[in-house]
Formats: sequence, structure tokens, C-alpha cells
Amino acid sequence: MRLYNCLLLAPLLAAVSSFSADFHIMPETITLRHQNDYQQLLTVEMDEGRAVDDLTRDVTYIVADPGVARVDEHGVAHPVAPGETRIEARVGDRTVSARVVVESLDPDRLWSFANDVQPALTKIGCNAGACHGAAAGKNGFKLSLRGYDHQHDYNVLTRQAKGRRVLIAEPDASLMLQKPSGGVPHGGGRLLRRDSLEYKIIREWIAQQAPAPSENDPELTAIEVFPKAIRRNVDAQQQLIVTASFSDGVSKDVTRWCKFGTTNDGVAVIADDGLATIKRPGGAALTVWYAGKVTFASVEVPFESEVSDAVFAQAERFNYIDDKVLDRLKALRIAPSKLCTDAEFVRRAYLDSTGVLPSERQAVAFLMDGAPDKRARLIDSLLGGDEYVDYWSYHWSDLMLASSTNPSLGSREALLAYYRFIRESVKANIGWDEFTRRVLTAQGSTLENGAANYFVLHKETTDLVETTSKAFMGLSITCARCHNHPMEKWTQDDYYGMANLLARVRLKNGDRSGETFVYSGDSGDILHPVYGKPMKPKPLDARPMPMNAPDRRAYLAEWLTSKENPYFARAIINRVWKNYMGVGLVEEVDDLRQTNPPTNEALFAALEEEFVANGYDVKQLMRDIMNSAAYQRSSEPRLGNESDQRNYSRYFPRRLPAEVILDGYSEVTRAPTKFSGYPDGWRALQLPDTNVASSFLTVFGRPERKMTCSCERNAEPTLSQALNISNGDTLNEKLRRDGNVIDRFLDSGDSLEQYVFDLYMAALTRTPSQEEEKGVLDACNGEEGWSALDRDERRRRLEDVTWAVLSGKEFLFNH
Amino acid sequence: MLRIDAEKTVHFCDGMSRRDLLHAGALSLLGFGLPQLAAAKEAGAVKNDTDRNCIFLFLVGGPSQLDTFDMKPDAPAEIRGPYKPIKTNVPGIQISEIFPNVAKVADKFAIVRTLHHSAAGVHDTGHQMMQTGRLFLNGLEQPHAGCVYGYLKGTRNNLPAHVMIPKPIGPTGGNMPHGQNAGFLGKQYDPFIVNADPSDPNFEVPDLLPPDYISAVRLDRRRSLRAAVEQSMAALETSENAQLLDSAFENAYSLASSPEAREAFDLSKEPDALRDRYGRNKFGQSCLLARRLIERGVRFSTVNMFETVFNEITWDIHGSAPFSPIECYQNLVGPMFDKGYSALLTDLEERGMLENTMVVAMGEFGRTPKINPAGGRDHWPQCWSILFAGGGVQGGQIVGATDEIASEPVDRPVTPAEVVASVYHSLGVDLEHVLTAPGGRIFPVVDFGVKPIMELFS
Repeated sequence: MRLYNCLLLAPLLAAVSSFSADFHIMPETITLRHQNDYQQLLTVEMDEGRAVDDLTRDVTYIVADPGVARVDEHGVAHPVAPGETRIEARVGDRTVSARVVVESLDPDRLWSFANDVQPALTKIGCNAGACHGAAAGKNGFKLSLRGYDHQHDYNVLTRQAKGRRVLIAEPDASLMLQKPSGGVPHGGGRLLRRDSLEYKIIREWIAQQAPAPSENDPELTAIEVFPKAIRRNVDAQQQLIVTASFSDGVSKDVTRWCKFGTTNDGVAVIADDGLATIKRPGGAALTVWYAGKVTFASVEVPFESEVSDAVFAQAERFNYIDDKVLDRLKALRIAPSKLCTDAEFVRRAYLDSTGVLPSERQAVAFLMDGAPDKRARLIDSLLGGDEYVDYWSYHWSDLMLASSTNPSLGSREALLAYYRFIRESVKANIGWDEFTRRVLTAQGSTLENGAANYFVLHKETTDLVETTSKAFMGLSITCARCHNHPMEKWTQDDYYGMANLLARVRLKNGDRSGETFVYSGDSGDILHPVYGKPMKPKPLDARPMPMNAPDRRAYLAEWLTSKENPYFARAIINRVWKNYMGVGLVEEVDDLRQTNPPTNEALFAALEEEFVANGYDVKQLMRDIMNSAAYQRSSEPRLGNESDQRNYSRYFPRRLPAEVILDGYSEVTRAPTKFSGYPDGWRALQLPDTNVASSFLTVFGRPERKMTCSCERNAEPTLSQALNISNGDTLNEKLRRDGNVIDRFLDSGDSLEQYVFDLYMAALTRTPSQEEEKGVLDACNGEEGWSALDRDERRRRLEDVTWAVLSGKEFLFNH
Repeated sequence: MLRIDAEKTVHFCDGMSRRDLLHAGALSLLGFGLPQLAAAKEAGAVKNDTDRNCIFLFLVGGPSQLDTFDMKPDAPAEIRGPYKPIKTNVPGIQISEIFPNVAKVADKFAIVRTLHHSAAGVHDTGHQMMQTGRLFLNGLEQPHAGCVYGYLKGTRNNLPAHVMIPKPIGPTGGNMPHGQNAGFLGKQYDPFIVNADPSDPNFEVPDLLPPDYISAVRLDRRRSLRAAVEQSMAALETSENAQLLDSAFENAYSLASSPEAREAFDLSKEPDALRDRYGRNKFGQSCLLARRLIERGVRFSTVNMFETVFNEITWDIHGSAPFSPIECYQNLVGPMFDKGYSALLTDLEERGMLENTMVVAMGEFGRTPKINPAGGRDHWPQCWSILFAGGGVQGGQIVGATDEIASEPVDRPVTPAEVVASVYHSLGVDLEHVLTAPGGRIFPVVDFGVKPIMELFS
């Protein structure tokens, strides 16, 4: 009987546990100060911090003291009279409550231009980029883009057009209301209903003598979205609400005035009123913009697969990375693939960390090693080698734009000094913070302190500040050069404050050819184009420094590399992560906008914590990544993870970088590439410069190093690449070159089988299957038989065999 | 076995095996490459009784409407600019004096004066919308009209369906511009990029054909070996990029094994006099190559007049460095267009190809009506003019009217999406045909409700 009960209860318990969610009301505290204030309430089911059900339609609200507040049929709380009470939400027999404070309802409260009228204008669309917010305005009427410049917009509205835009004596006749509501012809059409809240606010503001924006206006300090995380199934809907907090302590419901967006409209979409609809399994973020502040709510939609919890519990965990990866996979119900084989691992690890193929000898030594820690030891040895230094010096040279195609980079000596600085930094594995400080505070001769060339490359302060933001923080702030960033929090003031930190870098010619001296001047500023005067030097979101304090660059470097800077560590982590894992936690890899959140925030945070704790040690970060099970998983998909492209359920195959393919060709064919001006045998990854002609590298997507942008490197296969390999003179020439691998074989007297074996080991780090070997031997023998062929014909056949292996997917991809 | 030549309707299920795909690829010897599969699957999307072509001439930088095809001689000096209108061979139509040769062929093209868009006034938005009909929002990349056409219709022979001459437009301030490739249709439908300057005396498409020492026997051996030397890896079978690589090799083989391909790209086969007529510059010879390729089976050619707007003389006449001065319209950019465009229309007509080939000459936006302090004009997406010819277009007419300073349309405003719809209309593409993107998302070829500019075809 007891047993029977247990059996019966088991599924019930399971069902109950999936309902272990909490019942929440949002927001939990509401302040209403004005008769027109209101607050939409949300009641949601929460589980592990994520909204899993929207109960707003099923809830009953009861106000403890109806003399203080009331809740309407849409679940919106309104003030009644000053006092304090609680609103109780009830679903079935469960209840939860929110605290409501109604302050003295001031009947004479004035509408604020900055905080009430501007959001209304933005909502109507008056100041949109396509309308009066355009750089040139529209029809002689120009507002700041999305209403960031209150004083300017107020002046334009009240003083231009002979004062007809705002008529205090007759508010409804004001052009500001007549135009958008269709009272008089309007190029932009009819956008405003007379019975709308927007009309009412503008009308009442005018009637109140159109008060100007003032220093005393409460300042918007933050916005908050509810719920912050959503976990729902396909077709579910979830209302978002957004509250804004002001410097006077008030917070109010601004949902109506927000602009919403989605980072992945295949997964979730959101309507203008904040109602989100789930479309498909996966992850996304719903972005929110209000008056220059941004935030987002994350969305996770599990796949409808039958992966049991045991799969995640039993999956290999080698370090902290795996806990976070598996948490995410479990939440989305995506099964991880098994670990890769040793042969797969050795090729993968060599290519990802050093850009070279393991030699046959190196591969065999690893495969024969019986020690359980051999993968960890291989990783240590790869990260300690010279090829590691070549590969990562090249990589960071992309970031630092080391290229003599840049006309500012005076001479080859200067370029080499710049490269040498980067290379020595990689070799010594100095912390990324120290590297960054050395670049940004560099001074003296560009030939002696190579880092100083960073300032020679960027002669304009605007270029300098934009590259610095992109390279070290993954932030593109270019928009803010001309106006406040329309979808991010960066303002034009922020831009010119930041730019001014770099405005006093001075250059003068040195005595030697190509030598420039970089030093900090003690005067000169970049002017804000609107104010016509300089902003105080100020890192993007930190305190300004005094205008005439010395060491502006040191202040910038200190802020940039401080633990409080949320972008610095993450920007470099994301770049390194993408190199090894194939896809960044944030994509594009250098787009760390606040409204472009990572696919796995917990993982990103853990990597950041560890990286900072290790003193910004890039090599240790790589060691952690390479030692994780996530990195060591097979690239082969299993049932339940075929469609995963962002969550690291397996190793994602990727085409090798241009330089790695070219060096691989040289290695396998024993026919090095000759780079003009460099010694024989120099590999592509050892080049300090991209100004070295190579049609192969260009076609395969070598970055030009013209601007710091991940978009410069391209790894997608194209027809031009296939044409180059098939008909071009790169691979074909190596296959034909005297003394190459084929010549050596023909001279050696080895068997054909030996050639095939060596070729597979060198190119693919594995032995050929019987079927593959037979295919190759058949092609070599033809109808005539190998022994009947002359040397030239043998050579041609071996060239074709080698071409076939080197043009194959297995060679061209890391997997 | 797959039989594309079978008489009855052929159904291609999505569960096609790798072997089937390879087999289908093998048919490329007969001119049936992988792209044909989509064409067969999408049968019915394009009317069978039309077999038209299209040439896009992208006037990168954004020509000023006031200095080209929408002159306002009665406006104040700071509006009307330095150039005067001249008569054309169509009574009542005047264009800028910078185009004396174009004026002689005005009966062959229609001017649409009321293009406008309301997205951000940067080059990239116009480039996207004029070529795809849509603005890129975070999400899927929209395909270029030429790629959609190639996708729906397949290749005509061994030549690619869509060729871009000489190169894609590079960054014009920001990331690489969107809308120049096949987007969500997949990279196998990307345009073939010539990647060389047709006005170069030694012009040759890089690596189009195998070197002499690789005989036909070796070409075939390499191709069959490439399939034989590696076992199938599940990881790569499910990798879209890896599959793309295989289809790129199939296409490369198909081009390399075709004598027609060698001939089609060989501009030296064109008579010197004709080459002179087009203008011995990059744009002129690109126009000539576009015609030559269409004549030999390419369905769509996109000619980008420039690849950037920085430190190069283009239509982007801000008046100050690194952009261009307004004078370049008279002494460099204008004459290049004047020769190339007029020669192209005349040449197509003389060969009987104009009726069958739509030519669209367009920029990405117009320019500010008022001359700026640097003596140039800035970006102005509110109003600009473009030209349509051929492919059923009634020449010698003007569509739409603008205000007295060409600052905005006052009659018959036209959106970029309507331009793309007009191209599809000429090509016989069903405007309601729906394309399926990865993940099952669907997009009609143009947004529902967008209509062609029917005045063009009357």
C-alpha cells in the first residue's frame, strides 16, 4: 500500500516541483504624486529570477484602503487621496501585495518640459531621425534627435516661427498641436489624436504658461524594466513595464513612452506598448530605450526536447566554465555533445592557439602518451611556444592596426617598432591592463617606444577616441560625435569629454627617418561642436578631471583598466573566447552595447571575475578555456543540439583564418611562401604588416587594418576562394615547386601507401580510412598502373591527390 | 536519380541526401549547377513568357538631383547651383549641361524625380533599400534583387546569374554595407564579383580559369578526388559554411570547364571604337562588361561606380575633404556617367537587347537643396532622381514632381521598395511570391502592398 502511494505520488511531486515558482507583483513599491500619475501592475510567476507565467489576466486586485488608491480594470493603479496602503493581488488562494504611497496631490503641479513634454514628443515621433530630429530638421523646424537637448528644443518651439508653435492664450491653436493632429496641413501626416494623453499633456503644459526647462527639474537617474528575465514557451505573451526614477526620489510608470526592440526577432518580438510575444526557441533580449537611458529584459525559450536532467548532471565538468555553460544548456534543454577524440583535440588545440598544424611527430607523441593529464600538458606547452607568440602578436596587431598601408605610420622602422612592442608584450604575457596602459600613455620616440605609434596612426582626436573605445571596450561611439547616440546612453557630451582626454597628445618629427616624438602638451582642447567650447576631460561614465590637471592620458588609462569599468575586461575576454569557441558571448565580437547583451551572462561574469582576479592574464584565460570540457567537446552534433549555434553545446566548426591556411599549405607541401622583403621560410603569421601583397590572403579575408572592426576579417567561404585554390597560383605553384614534398617522395623510393599516410597525418592529423586510401591509390594507379608511369605523370597524379586533400572541408576547417 | 529535364513537375523534398546533391552538382556540366535546384523548387515565381535581364548602375555617393535631372533654374543661386539646364531630344525634358550625350538619348529613359526615404541619412541605408527594397534591422540580411532573381530563375548557362562589377561598395562610414549579397538566401546565391578593373589594359578576372598545365583530364580527376579523399564528417555536414565551400568548388569547376566563360569576360574581343564610346575608364568599361555578360547569359549585372566616398572623387559632393567638390560633376564624374550611360543604352538598343534588359541608374539619396558653406551639398534622402530604361520602360517621360527647390516630392512620391518592385515587375517576378528564410521565416519578395511604378510601363 505504501509502495503504491509512492508510485502514485511520484509524478504528482514532479508536477508540483515544476510549479515551485513564486508569485510576484511588480513593482513592489509605488509612489504616486500627481493626479495624473499611474502605475501599471504586473503579476507574474517567477522561477529562479525569471518570469515563467503572466498572471495579469487572472488576478484580482484588492486595495486595503480604497480611500488612498484604486486599481482599474486594466490593472493600473491610480491615486485617490494622500496616504499609504497596500494593493493585494490574488490568484486562487495565493496572494501577494505591493506598497502604495500617495503623496500630497498637488493640483497645481506643472507639467515639466523635460520630463513630460519631451517624452510625449518622442512618442508622437516629432523628433525622430526621419522627421524634425534629422540633422537638417524638416521644413525649417529642427528638434534634437529624440529630444536630448531640452533647452534647444524649448527655444525652437517657443521662439521660432513667430511664436505660433506655442500660443499660451489659445493652446489648441498652437501649431505644435494643430500640425500633428491634422488641424492644419502637415507633411508628416496626422500623428496625434486629440483625445490622447500626449495631446492632453502638451495642451495643459501650454496652458500652464509653457514653463521652460530648468536646473531644478528632477533629473532622470535610471530606468528599470519588469520583469528583467523571461522564460516562456512558444506563443506565450508577456507584458513588460518600465519605471523611471528621478533625482527627487519619484519613480513613475513610463512604459507608454519607451521605445522597445528585440535582438533576435526570430525568438521574440515586442509591440510598441511593451507586449512581448514568443516566436521560437532560443535566447534573445528585449531592449528598452527611454529618454537616453537603456536597459533590457532577457528572454529564454527552451527547446521542446526530451533531454533528461541526468544528461546535464552527468556531462563532464572540468572547471568553472563548464558549470555556467551547462546551466545555460539545461535551461534551454540543449544536450551537450560528447568529448572529442585525442586526434581531434591535438589538431584543434594547435590551430586555435598557435595557427600551425601539429607535425606528424608531435601528433603521434601526443596520441601515444598514456597520461591522464596529457591534454592539460599539451595546452601548457602550446601556450609556452614561439608559435603562440607569432599567432597572438598577429591577432593583436589586427586590433592595433599595425599596417604600413596607413600613410601616417611614417616608415618601416616605425612599423617594426610598433610590432615589436606588441610582440614583446605577448611574449612576456604582460597583463592586458598593463598592455593597455603602456599603449595609452606612450610617449617619446616612436622608434624606441613602439607603443607610441598608436598615436601616430590616429592623427585626429576623433579617430583616436573612437578606435580606443572600439579596441579596448568593444564600444562604437561614433554616432555621438555628431549627436547623442540614438539607441545607447552615450551623449555628445560624453563623447567630447572622453575625446578631450586624448586632445593634448602632440607629435613632432624626430631626427631619424620615420621617427616621431609623442608627448603630452599642456594646452589645447577639442571643442564641443554645439557649445563651441571644450568639455572637461571625462571618461565615458566616470567623473571629470580638472581642465588643467596634467596626465589626462594617465587618468583615461586608469579608468579604462580599473575594476569598475564594466567594458574593459569583457571586451578582451569576448575576443579571446571567440577565437577558441568560434562564436562570441556577444556578437559581433566588438559590439558590447548595453542593448546587445551576452548569450550567457553568468558565464561572462564568471570569466570576468576570474580574469580580473588573475591580474588580466590573457594566457591564463586561454588556459582556462582550453581546459574546459566545453572547448573539448566533439564538433559532431547529437540529437537535440543540431540547431545550437550560440550556446557551446559542441565545438562549432569554423573555416581557418587566411594566414593559417596559407601557412598550412606551405607546411604540408614543404614549399614555403615567399613574402617580398622577408627572409625565406617566413610564415604569414610572422608578418608584422598587412602591407605585403598576397592575393591569396586578400581573397581569404585578411584584415586590411584600416579600422578596428571585427568586420575586417572574413571567414566565410566564397566562390573567389574556390577559384583561387582551383586555378590560382598559390596552391598550384606550391604543388609544382621543385624540391617540394612530392619531389622528395619521388626521390625517396617510399611506397605510395607511405605518401598517403604522411599526407593525411600532415594535413588532417589522422590516418586515412581503408576506403580513402583505396580511392587515392586507384586515382594514382589509373588504368596503367603506377609502375608503368613516368616520373612526370606520377608527379601530376600526386599533385592532384594532394590538391584534393588540401582543398577539402576537413583541411580548411577547424573542427 | 534526380531528373531536372523530366517533363512532369519535379518535386524536391527537403530531405535530399548528400549523394543527391552531389549528383545534382554533377549536372553542372550541362549548365545545371546547384542554383538550379532552388529555381526548380520555386517554379512559378517568375513568369515563363519573360526572360529579361537587368543592369543596376549604382552611382555611389548620391548624385545631387539639382545638378543632374531635376534642375531648378529659377531658384535662387544658392539653390540652383552652378550648372545650367540643356534641352534633350525629348521636347519639354531638360537635364543638366554636364550630360550632353545623355541628352541625346532621353527618349530611351524615364526620369523618376521623387525618390525619397525616411531612414537615417547615411549612405548605407540607401544602398540597402535601393538594392533590396528593405532596411536592414538586427536580424536577417535581406537579399539584393539580383540575387533574388538568380535564386528564382537559376543560371542560364555556365555563367553566374548575377555578376557584380568591379567590386562591392566598401564601408562608407561604419561597417560593411548591407544589401549587396544574397543575404538569407545563402551565400551560394551571392553575386560573382569580378574583382578587377575592366579598364585595366591587362584586365582579367582573377583565377577564373585553370592555368595551362592543368588539363581537362586533371581538372576532372581533381574534382572526383576531392569527393573521394575525405570521409563524410557529421560535424561538417551540418555546418552551413562547410557546405557552402563544397558548392563554391562545384561552381568554380563549372566555370573553369567552360570555354564560354573565358570568352564572356574577355573585353579585348570588343572593337576599340566601341570601347572608346563607353569611355576608357573604370565605369565606362564596367558598363561595357555588363552588356557583354548579359549578352552571353548573365541575368543581372550590378555596376558600382565607386567603392567608397572617402578620398576619391565621387558623387558625394560635401565640398570639403575627404569628400568631393561640386566641380567634379563637370570635369570628372559627370563626363564618365555621360559617356558610359549613353553608350550603354545605344549599344543595347543597336543589338536589340534594350527591350529585354532593364537598366536602372540610381544613387542612394539626393543632396541638400541649399549649397553649404563649403560650396557643396550634403546628404538629402528626402528627394532625389533616378533613371529607368529598357525592359518594357517607356522612355522620354518624367514621373513625379518636386517642389520649387527639389527638396521634397509634391506629386507621385516613390519609395526605394517601389523601385525594386518595378524591377521585379519588368523581370516577371511575382510580387507576392514568398521567400523562406532560415528558421522558417517568410518574406514576400517585396513587402505586401508595395506596387511597381506602373507609369514607367505605360
